[in-house]
Amino acid sequence: MSVNITTLDERTRVTSEADSALDTEEYFVNMGPQHPATHGVLRMVLKLDGETIKEVIPVLGYIHRSIEKICEHSTYRQIVHLTDRMDYLSSIMNNWAVSLTVEKAANIELTERIEYIRTIVAELERIHSHQVAWGVMGMDLGAFTPFLYGFRDRELVTDILEETIGARLTMNYIQPGGVMFDIHPNFVKKVKEYIAYFRPKLDEYEDLMSGNPIIQQRLRDVGTMDGETALSYGATGPVLRASRVPYDLRKIEPYGVYGKADFNVAIGTAGDCWDRYYVRIEEMRQSIRIIEQLIDNIPEGKFMVKKPAVKIKVPEGRYYGHVETARGVLGVFIVSQGKDIPYRMYFRTPNFHNLWCTTAIAPGGRIGDLVAITASLDLVIPDIDR
Amino acid sequence: MGLVKKEEYAFDTMPGVDVVLTKIDYVVNWARSNSLWPLTFGTSCCAIEMLMATGGPRHDLARFGAEVTRPSPRQADLLILAGTIVKRMAPRLRTLYDQMAEPRYVIATGACTISGGPFLYHSYSTIRGADEIIPVDVYVPGCPPRPESLLHGLLTLQKLIKEGQTIRKPGVRHKPVISEIPEGVSREDITAEMVELLEHDSVVNIEETLGNLERPTGI
Ligand code: SF4
Repeated sequence: MSVNITTLDERTRVTSEADSALDTEEYFVNMGPQHPATHGVLRMVLKLDGETIKEVIPVLGYIHRSIEKICEHSTYRQIVHLTDRMDYLSSIMNNWAVSLTVEKAANIELTERIEYIRTIVAELERIHSHQVAWGVMGMDLGAFTPFLYGFRDRELVTDILEETIGARLTMNYIQPGGVMFDIHPNFVKKVKEYIAYFRPKLDEYEDLMSGNPIIQQRLRDVGTMDGETALSYGATGPVLRASRVPYDLRKIEPYGVYGKADFNVAIGTAGDCWDRYYVRIEEMRQSIRIIEQLIDNIPEGKFMVKKPAVKIKVPEGRYYGHVETARGVLGVFIVSQGKDIPYRMYFRTPNFHNLWCTTAIAPGGRIGDLVAITASLDLVIPDIDR
Repeated sequence: MGLVKKEEYAFDTMPGVDVVLTKIDYVVNWARSNSLWPLTFGTSCCAIEMLMATGGPRHDLARFGAEVTRPSPRQADLLILAGTIVKRMAPRLRTLYDQMAEPRYVIATGACTISGGPFLYHSYSTIRGADEIIPVDVYVPGCPPRPESLLHGLLTLQKLIKEGQTIRKPGVRHKPVISEIPEGVSREDITAEMVELLEHDSVVNIEETLGNLERPTGI
């Protein structure tokens, strides 16, 4: 296999010239790094013919914070807090990925209680992440109300999490060997109240946006991706499931107590933006189901197996662990030399792989569709660049 | 000592006629400080808390007149720096700042834009503090700061603007940090004066306040 290496300069050279006044000419437009619809500092170079997209070239590195390099100087408990800052909307699940891998490598046995708490807080966070995705998608398509609705309900989730964890966004909660704090005495009661509150609100979301003809027209049959393409680009999470591939780590390789919960994996049929949107709505319903089944059965026990050890030694070798975050599979690869810091750490982040789907599905569409596509992929840019 | 200025009454009414007397500087600064248009500039984690949650329904930046976020720097005069600045982004940030409308203000939120934050050590790509690239007016610490902190930061900035620029001396701005203490003044003097003022502010004498209301002091 040979790989062609081209520079951005070569790729953005105009190849066709207009030879009459009526002929069209290709040109290039930068979208980003400062653009409100890219949710951060993503830069995409668009090759356009009129308003039709010919090619999308994502250019990365505008928020590359060298997290993997910092990991090589940090103990495993310190690494956990760096993963908060990668995909900050699924920070608990990111913590979990590192903790899971370290526990597997260092042979740390967990109590039932830890697994229950972890699963419940992770599902709560999945709900708030999808609420943000839903609201921001509405905003990108030109509707401001969904943003207000989504954030109204998200604040209530962060209140519950804040009571236990003490943070609103960068949680740093799940640690190798347990969780940072035991749950607050009010936790169970508040979660139940929230579920009772949120279930009718979810129907309201659907009344507001799903049935709206403008939203339907902006999303249906836009950015269609079949399962094959999605798999070959390494897409995961709602993006992959919307393309009819029922791949969900919570079902396939249950970690935590997902094996005990009864829930369905939401999949789409056509793989267009609409399916990616609707899979998220359905996933919120399934998260509510999971929480409802678990919240009453949290067993007694320790929330941290040992005294919080600052230095956990991982035996020499290579380890891989992964979890299903709100945006897909986060894989953690550790190369250890038997010390308390890793020799090399690699994160396989979901957004990086989901981003490249735009290069496959956006060409042929209009610029406006690209906004719908990036909104439906629900990209978090620091997770792409790390 | 006059190191910490008390706010004076800026409006005066003339008895008998419906006329309000004021200073043009005061009116301009008052208008400026209450209609800040922020630029939508969020690079990472802080953006969720600063721009989205603060602009959202609970905290509602609109109460302070700063909800009109503009995607174009040419229409904005407030830069809320939310998130880490890395070396590759630094020139773009400088460009954005230069393109903004004058007078422009900068609030640096989060540990990252103050000092590099969690990426202070061992990182080869982050900028250790946004003030290496652009001047910053107000710093809001936290990782990420709570939305309330940003609101406090915004109020601080509004206060600065109200006190700051005058028509006679454009470009002169009161800085939040006193870097050099004037000669003959010690740190204790400042603290004592602050304490006195704070105490004065927290104890409200209702009769005195009512008396003030009837008879506003002149400009
Ligand atoms: S200060 Fe913390 S929350 Fe804010 S951008 Fe930096 S790492 Fe993220």
